[in-house]
Amino acid sequence: MGRVLRNVFVGACVVLWLVPLWLMVVNAFTASTEYSGSPDWTFQGFAIFDNLSTAWDEARIGEGFGSSLLYAVVCAAAAVLVAAMASFAVVVLPIPRPAFWFWLIFSGTMFPLQMFLAPLFGMYADANLYDTRMGLMLVYVAWAIPFAFFLIRNQMTTMPPELTEAAMLDGASFRRIFWRIHVPLLAPGLGAAFIFQFTAVWNELLFGITLSRSPEVQPVMATLTALNNAYASTGPPVILAGTLIVSLPTLIVFLVFRGLFLRGLTVSAR
Amino acid sequence: MTDMATTAKPVRVRRRIPIRSSHHSARRSGGSSGRLGGPLSGVPWGLPALLFVGVLLVYPFFRSVYGSFFEDNGFTSSFTGLDNYARLAEDPIFGRSVLNTLFWVAGTLLLPVLAGLFIAVATHNMRFGGVWQLIIALPYVISGAATAVVWKFILTTEGAANEVLRGIGLDSWAQGWLLEWPQNTLSMIVASTWQATGLNVVLFAIGLRAIPRETVEAAQLDGATGWRMFRYITLPQLRAMTVVVVGMAIVNSLKAFDMIWVLTQGGPARSSETLALTMYRETFRLFHVGYGSAIALVLSVIVVASSWFYLRRQMPDTRPEGTR
Repeated sequence: MGRVLRNVFVGACVVLWLVPLWLMVVNAFTASTEYSGSPDWTFQGFAIFDNLSTAWDEARIGEGFGSSLLYAVVCAAAAVLVAAMASFAVVVLPIPRPAFWFWLIFSGTMFPLQMFLAPLFGMYADANLYDTRMGLMLVYVAWAIPFAFFLIRNQMTTMPPELTEAAMLDGASFRRIFWRIHVPLLAPGLGAAFIFQFTAVWNELLFGITLSRSPEVQPVMATLTALNNAYASTGPPVILAGTLIVSLPTLIVFLVFRGLFLRGLTVSAR
Repeated sequence: MTDMATTAKPVRVRRRIPIRSSHHSARRSGGSSGRLGGPLSGVPWGLPALLFVGVLLVYPFFRSVYGSFFEDNGFTSSFTGLDNYARLAEDPIFGRSVLNTLFWVAGTLLLPVLAGLFIAVATHNMRFGGVWQLIIALPYVISGAATAVVWKFILTTEGAANEVLRGIGLDSWAQGWLLEWPQNTLSMIVASTWQATGLNVVLFAIGLRAIPRETVEAAQLDGATGWRMFRYITLPQLRAMTVVVVGMAIVNSLKAFDMIWVLTQGGPARSSETLALTMYRETFRLFHVGYGSAIALVLSVIVVASSWFYLRRQMPDTRPEGTR
């Protein structure tokens, strides 16, 4: 009895969770000219490639896709490097008041973005960084550092200090210790931090719509939002095809690197 | 928050980390000078992070606090003291916004956290349980904006939700889900449940795997099954993870912006705005920059206050003895 109930519950949940994804895929296959005005529940054509190319070119999802790929890869990598160095400083090296440094860097992830937006907008306007790729990349790096720092630091504290001591006795410099001992041993942790921050930057909308305006600078989520605002004129199939495009990278990364995601979550929940 | 860290605490606290911190031993064996570097040799390593976070996050933070005491339309500003905060109390839109924010927090605790707990427990030790968990976790990596677009397709007046309701004969239930308060806030909470539950399932699953087999076996020998097992063994054992999940859920619900912005833009007539939305609209649409900063500060205080317990538990540096 209990077992049946459990199976029914899990089955119902799985079906419920798949329905929105199913609707997204099925309706992205309908030709936008043939869209009836109400959602299709079964495949009504094979216009997926037309819809994808309309979304990619005319709705300029392609441009946003390129920008976001640049932002997500470069900024996540830069943030992980900077955060790893900071963790090294706080955990391994002599530094006055490590806890103060920890809280200072970590504080960036506690507050809602709204707290930073208005001054950032003003600063960016003054420094001619508004609506530039450089400007967005700088803020994405800064935004990605705190959580990456938190993840990497937590894993670094579990490394036995004897490793560092032995290397020091052998006369290795800090730089050498960092690159030859900590980076290789923490590779999975760094990977987890990278994957997390790649996903975060890729999915980011608020900085994108606040600090940029032109389609060649805006990240892909901002482009998708603009496309969605033209809901009536563009038609759902093209919009859903666009949604499919912007969701695929993170879905693929998640499916391929499940282990790293799990590792990151385990560390952050410990 | 830094007050606490700048007192003598860090030194005392560092000893609680189960391993020795190598910098103590390095200092002891090498002295404060010599080949191991001086007491400041860590500073250059921490500096890049400090610069990024300091210039682009910490400085804007304090600038926002400062700006909230000004009447500022983006061009001219004048000092008005606490006027912005006094205005908050009388603003009906702010009141509605606080109410919606409370809805979001309550709804997030009720739906994604409970659903996450039940799904994790139900799929634990189930055949293909990992696959089912994975399917429910999929939306977690889809962005708030993309989730909103898909759910707009479902919730719009000619959308899938109404189509289903009409299909099963509940015509009178079909309605403009996003057009009236409070349905719009409630349906968006459901949409966010679809996205947020996966994370909670994964976290609870981690917690479930950490329950010692002996505990479960002992309970089984004593005849505990079903509900009793869940109530007296599983739930208490999941307590530590529940703190994490609840903390994350509260903070995420307070910060929710993308989904609401894409689905309704806070409308119609600003009825579905939360604090995050109200701040954005006041600052960047209506150019009440000072007023917007005051709202941002209120939101920040709520976020920090409600994440305090969760954070305190999470930081090994400040964790009280014996709670690990």
